[in-house]
Amino acid sequence: MIRFHETRLANGLRVIPEVNPEARSAAMGYFVRTGARDETPEESGVSHFLEHMVFKGPEGMSAEEVNLAFDALGAQYNAFTSEENTVFYGAVLPELLPDLLSLFSRLMRPALREEDFATEKKVILEEIALYADRPDFVAYERAREHYFKNHPLANRVLGTEESIRALTRDQMAAYHDRRYRTGNLVLAFAGNLDWERIVDLAARLTDGWPAGEPGRSYPPFSPPRDDIREGYSRARQLYLVGLFPGYAAQDDRRYAASVLASILGDAGNSRLHWALVDKGLVEHASAGHEENDGLGSFYVYAAARPENEEAVYQAVREELGRLADDPPGEEELARAKTKAKTQIVFAGETPMRRLFHLGLSYVYAGRYISLSEVLSRIEAVKRDDLAALLAERPFDRGLFFRLAPAGT
Amino acid sequence: MATIRTETLPNGLVLAVEEQPANAAAAFSLLVPAGATTDPEGQEGASAVLERWLWKGAGPYDARGFAEALDDLGVRRGSAAGVEYTTFSAALLPEVLPQALELFAEMVLRPRLEEGTFDSARRAVIEELAALEDDPPKKLFVRLRGEVFKSPHRRVVEGSRESLERMSAADVRSLFARRYRPEGAILAVAGGVRFAEVREAVLRAFGCWGGEAAPPPEPRTTEPHAAFWSEDTAQVQIGLYYRDVSPDSEHFYPARLAAQVLSGGMASRLFTEVREKRGLVYAVYASPGAFRGFGYLAAYAGTTPERAEETRRVLKAEIERLAEGVSEAELARAKIRTKSALVMQSESAQARAGGMVRDIFLLGRVRSLEEIAAGVEAVTLSRLNDFLASHPYRDPWEGVLGPKGGEG
Repeated sequence: MIRFHETRLANGLRVIPEVNPEARSAAMGYFVRTGARDETPEESGVSHFLEHMVFKGPEGMSAEEVNLAFDALGAQYNAFTSEENTVFYGAVLPELLPDLLSLFSRLMRPALREEDFATEKKVILEEIALYADRPDFVAYERAREHYFKNHPLANRVLGTEESIRALTRDQMAAYHDRRYRTGNLVLAFAGNLDWERIVDLAARLTDGWPAGEPGRSYPPFSPPRDDIREGYSRARQLYLVGLFPGYAAQDDRRYAASVLASILGDAGNSRLHWALVDKGLVEHASAGHEENDGLGSFYVYAAARPENEEAVYQAVREELGRLADDPPGEEELARAKTKAKTQIVFAGETPMRRLFHLGLSYVYAGRYISLSEVLSRIEAVKRDDLAALLAERPFDRGLFFRLAPAGT
Repeated sequence: MATIRTETLPNGLVLAVEEQPANAAAAFSLLVPAGATTDPEGQEGASAVLERWLWKGAGPYDARGFAEALDDLGVRRGSAAGVEYTTFSAALLPEVLPQALELFAEMVLRPRLEEGTFDSARRAVIEELAALEDDPPKKLFVRLRGEVFKSPHRRVVEGSRESLERMSAADVRSLFARRYRPEGAILAVAGGVRFAEVREAVLRAFGCWGGEAAPPPEPRTTEPHAAFWSEDTAQVQIGLYYRDVSPDSEHFYPARLAAQVLSGGMASRLFTEVREKRGLVYAVYASPGAFRGFGYLAAYAGTTPERAEETRRVLKAEIERLAEGVSEAELARAKIRTKSALVMQSESAQARAGGMVRDIFLLGRVRSLEEIAAGVEAVTLSRLNDFLASHPYRDPWEGVLGPKGGEG
């Protein structure tokens, strides 16, 4: 029997344990509501760089000691940074969860030592170089920049070589002070744990953390209607990314939008599958709906050999147009829902997977959204809901971006 | 606790089932002994084409009808042709397992393999081959494997543009007739299922399958040597391939723990020396792998050209230094990391089904997670260090891919 609990500590930190006594492991995560969109241009890349620096340790604990402490717990752990979230997470055997919590809680107040900062800067620059060799990544990054333009969701998570080289330790410390405040953090747990004990421990460990909620800006956004093609010297294939207006993480229409995206671009059986993959025109084609804070977007993606560029581009445009002219029928809708059901069962299979759903949905909605609630929301989607989304003609109001081998 | 049962069915198909009573999900993996090593000379890539072609219609279903039948059951599925075999996998709810098995049996026993769909299957593989060009680390390891083996293990799974264009539908049908046989095939099922019911469903679906596939060729290697491939990449890709003990060796557990000391977790030697202390890379790892009768340890680092030589030197030195032995603390961390990973694996039906199929292919039997945990626990420091002294990791095959001048 899975039970959810919710507490706000005296310092303002929200703690949300979801307990499953049958689980064989326990997972936890600090979900920080901060990312590339919350950076000034001078700070570009600082959220992600800071995520790395967190693992370099607080005052009185070296990076090596941090790594040894995690490995001594046998923890599976990591962190990631996106445009609007920085998440530190790990899973251990249930009896070691208090130790894991103590360790992560210490790390949230990093020392940001100059020497570590200089070494880690080199690692970040290598990470930027790594992605420069991945044209699929470059295509997404550039498409987002063209689509979001001056909106902060255009900001690059990694920053640029120039912004990272110029970044100072003091800028990072100021950013940390501004963003890592209790009102901007959620501490989530999933799996086999004693929730009262863990909440008590969390209260002791985070006592004295700076309070406050820095917020973020939500400038108005209107999607560009554009069709852009660029060359890239390291691309040998053709990459097509489409971005179109969708629905925010707080908008109930997002459930219908995700069903629509699945009908359009799921692997194995979807409109793009039959138009592109089944015909052997592309290596990969997919579509999805991405829910951000305050706004959302549909995306389509395809990668193909350059000689298929025109055929792929036309086929994608045709399928998007056909969604409005030949909207999904009852059977297509029923299948998409059945698939979602399996997906949701698997999203709940392990504590680590439950943690991501739990933490991220709470960060956006400010309340617990169980997997069974997600399932019933998906099951409630009707053809009329899809028709209402399509009536707004989202796929006529967005960006097609192509990244092609340079000089073609 | 999970219980595992394995049985060789009358037609030779090996069935293994792990019952996970608390799991609301289930998964299976079917291994067929058709891969790059069993493709006929001159028809490299045939198994990959076949794997794509099978999805294009079977028994009473055309491609779309087949995909819809699976979607109606909410089955998430995939398939992959590899060096030694092809796997077909599914993630599903336990109650639809019998129907899903029937559908997979249609595909594997009674595929249509129609002339009209052959070309799109072949073109899909040409696309995959082309996609490799934009994935430098993957490309490096495909090429390096080509240097290591004299036997067909050296081949590119997708073949070559020439072999694919030469291939006929008849060639691939004949491969299907020879290789898609129950004697040599393995089916593993894990999750909220019961052995007796699974067995009955499998007999009903696959019972009429007959015949035997000839055993695949044994691996044979070249003498270790170095190779350089010039590419205009941002990072130099460095790959090392060391001979290791095979999975059925008495030294298997010491070898796995040594790999953990080297590259498991952030306190591991490679992460500490190459990334944490020197900031040379973002990505560095060493990871054990195996073909039937041959174990290896593959190591990787990616770095910008001016630091390639130092990175290669530090990477090799750290791996060779294993011969001097590891410390008590390193062994303790490697043990707890391994055991904790096993517990987390035990919570995932997909992870178990995949692991069980591989175990049977490589060892002829399934190791329970308890058996692996006991095997790991039994490794003492002196046994591990004796192993490392008598089986030093040195003299690897080396591959470097990157801009000219990066060959060192």
